[in-house]
Amino acid sequence: MKLLLAGISHKTAPVHMREKLAVAENVLPDALHELQNLGASEAMILSTCNRVEFALTAPDHEQPAAVIDKFLSAWKGSPGAFDGHLYRLESREAIQHLFRVAASLDSMVVGEPQILGQLKNAYAIARNEGTVGGLLEQVMTRAFSVAKRVRTETGIGQMAVSVSYAAVELARRIFGSLNGHSVMIIGSGKMGELAAKHLHRSGAKRILVTNRTWERAQEMAAAFKGQAVEYSQFTTVLPEVDIVIASSGAPHYILHPAEMQRVIAVRRNKPMFLIDIAVPRNIDPAVNDVENVFLYDVDDLESVVNENIKERTRQAEQAEGIVREEVERMLARLKMEEVTPTIVSLQEQLENIRAAEMARSLRKLPQLTPEQHALVAAQMEAMTRSIVNKIAHGPISALRGNVGQPEGEHFLKAVRKVFHLQE
Amino acid sequence: MGESSLLWLRVAAGLYSLGLIDAIVTVLRRRESLFKTALGAFGLGAIFQLVSIVEQGLVQHHFPANDFFEVMSLCAWLVTMAFLGIYWRYKAESFSVFVFPLVFVMTLVAALSNPVSRWPSEAVRNTWLIVHIVLALLGYAALLFTAVAAVAYLLQERELKRKQPRSFHRIFPPLGMLDELISRSLAAGFVFITVSIIIIIIWAANSYGARWVDNGLISTSCITWGIYLALIFFRVSAGWRGRKAAIMSIVALCCSAVTWIAHFRLESHLQ
Repeated sequence: MKLLLAGISHKTAPVHMREKLAVAENVLPDALHELQNLGASEAMILSTCNRVEFALTAPDHEQPAAVIDKFLSAWKGSPGAFDGHLYRLESREAIQHLFRVAASLDSMVVGEPQILGQLKNAYAIARNEGTVGGLLEQVMTRAFSVAKRVRTETGIGQMAVSVSYAAVELARRIFGSLNGHSVMIIGSGKMGELAAKHLHRSGAKRILVTNRTWERAQEMAAAFKGQAVEYSQFTTVLPEVDIVIASSGAPHYILHPAEMQRVIAVRRNKPMFLIDIAVPRNIDPAVNDVENVFLYDVDDLESVVNENIKERTRQAEQAEGIVREEVERMLARLKMEEVTPTIVSLQEQLENIRAAEMARSLRKLPQLTPEQHALVAAQMEAMTRSIVNKIAHGPISALRGNVGQPEGEHFLKAVRKVFHLQE
Repeated sequence: MGESSLLWLRVAAGLYSLGLIDAIVTVLRRRESLFKTALGAFGLGAIFQLVSIVEQGLVQHHFPANDFFEVMSLCAWLVTMAFLGIYWRYKAESFSVFVFPLVFVMTLVAALSNPVSRWPSEAVRNTWLIVHIVLALLGYAALLFTAVAAVAYLLQERELKRKQPRSFHRIFPPLGMLDELISRSLAAGFVFITVSIIIIIIWAANSYGARWVDNGLISTSCITWGIYLALIFFRVSAGWRGRKAAIMSIVALCCSAVTWIAHFRLESHLQ
C-alpha cells in the first residue's frame, strides 16, 4: 500500500493559487469519491485558507501521483497550473508532513490551535464518506495523538503571538480568570477595540466605553452590550474597573500617577491592568510605579510578543524532535505489520510439519499400552515443539530485527522462499 | 482581685468572646456577619468590666491599677471605650477586627489572676497542651504556605512590573490567585494561632496560678500573636494586598518562627 500527500500551502503558493485549488466543504464528499473512483484506496482532503492538501493511499500496482494528476485534470482543469507550487510527498515524508501539520509546526503562526480542529474536521468528513479505514486512518489517528503529545510536552500553544492576545495573556497573569472583571475602553482605536473583544470573549463581561464623542462611545458600548461613560466623568468610574484600554487620540497624558494613587486607594489596593495602545501615549509611564498598577504600552506588548515568538521557536524545536521520534515509531509499526503475516505463516508451516511427523511416528508404535502411548506422546510433543521453536527463533528474530532496514525486504523474500511460504 | 469583681470581669470576657467570633468570621468570610450582635455584647461587656473595675477600686481603697492583672483589665476597658467612641463618631467598623480579639484576650488575661480551677488530672492537663500544640502547628503550617505564596507573588509581580517576563514566570499561578491564597491561608493561620494562644494562656494560668505572667515564652507568643493581629487588621481594614500583603506575610512567618523556637524550649522546660 502506498501513501501520498499532495498539496499547496502558504509556504509554496500565494493566496490566488490556494483559492484555485481549494475544495469547498459542500463538494468535499464528491471530491473524495472521485479520488476513489480514480484508483485511490483511501482519500482525505484538507482545505483551509492556508493550505489545500490531498492525502491518499493506493494499492501497490497503482501510482497515487497519477491519481492526483487525473483528479486535478478533472476538477481543476490542468495539473500543470500548479507546477512549482504543488508538493508531492510519499511514505515517510507524507507521514512526517501530516504529523507536523497536526502539531501546528507547518502553520503560518506556529503553534496556533485551529489547524488541528480543521484537520479533525477533514478526517471526520472522510470517515463519514467511508473514504478512510486503513493505512491513512492509522496515520491520521496517530497524527492526532502526536499533536496532543506536542501540546502537552511543549508550551508551543501557550504564548500569545499577537499584541491583542498578549494583552489577554497578561490580564490572565494578573487576575487569573477574567470572569467577572470589568474593562474600560478609552477612545476608539482599532487595536483597543480588538483587545477589548478578546478580553470580552475571555470572560470579562462588564465593558465600559468612554470617548470624546458621546455617540461613538454609545455605538461601541452597544457593540459590547456595555455601558457608555461621559468622557469628563471617566476618572470617577475608574475605581470600578480592573482593566483599562487607552487608545484615544489625545495629544497628552490623560492618566497620571497621582490620579492612579487615588484610584488604587479607593479600590483598596485591588490590582489594575492598564493597556496603553495609543500613540502618542495616553498614560504617563510613571503610573507603572504605583503599587498594584501594571501599565503596558504598545512597545511593552510588542516585546512580550517577540519574547513569546522566540519561546515558541524554542518549543517548536523540541516539538520537531517529538515528531521525528513519532514518525520512526509509526514506520516501525507499519513495517512490523508487513512482516507479521510472514511470521504467522512460518509458524503455521512449521507446526503443520511437526504435527504431521509426530502423528506418523506415533502410528509406528502400536505395541504400546494406552498409558505408555500417552506418556510417549507427551514426551514427543514437548521435544518437537522445542525443536520447532528453536528452528523458528532465528528467522523470526531476523525478520523482526530487519524491519525498516534496507535489507529487510530481501530477507522477507528469502524466508518465504526457503520455507515455501505462500504469498 | 475580689471575687465579685472577678465574676463581673469573667462575664465581660464572655461577652467580649462574641467579638472575637465576629472578628474570626469576618477574616474568614470577608463580609459583615455578627457585627451588630457582637457590638451590643461588646457594649454590655464594657459595662460589666466597668462595674468590676469600680468594685475592685472600692474594695481595695485605691485606684485599681495595682498589679499586672488590674492594669490589663483597665487597659482593655480603655481600649473598648476608645473603640466605642470612634465607632460612634466615625462608624469605623473595620477596627473591630483588631479591637475585638485584642480586648477579649486582654480581659481573659486579667480574669486569670485567680484560675477558675486546678487540673482534675495530669491527662486533662496534657490533652489541653496537646490541643494547643496541634493548633499552633496548623497555624504555622498555614503561615508557611502563606509565605511560600508570598514569595511566588513577589517574583511574579516583579516580572510583570519589569515587563520582560521570563519563561519561569509561567510556572507561578496568576497574581490574583496568589493573593487569594495568601489571604485565605493567613486568615486560617490567624484563627488557629488565636485559639492556640487562648488555650495556652488558660493552661498556663491553671498550671502556674498568677505566676504564669512571668513566663517569658508565653509573653513572646502573645507578642507574636499581637503582630499577627496587627497584620490581619491592616489586611482587612486598610486593604493591604498585593506586594504589601506578601511582605507582611513573610514578616509574620519570621515572628512565628521565633515563637516556635520558644515553644520548643517551653516543652523541654515542662518535661
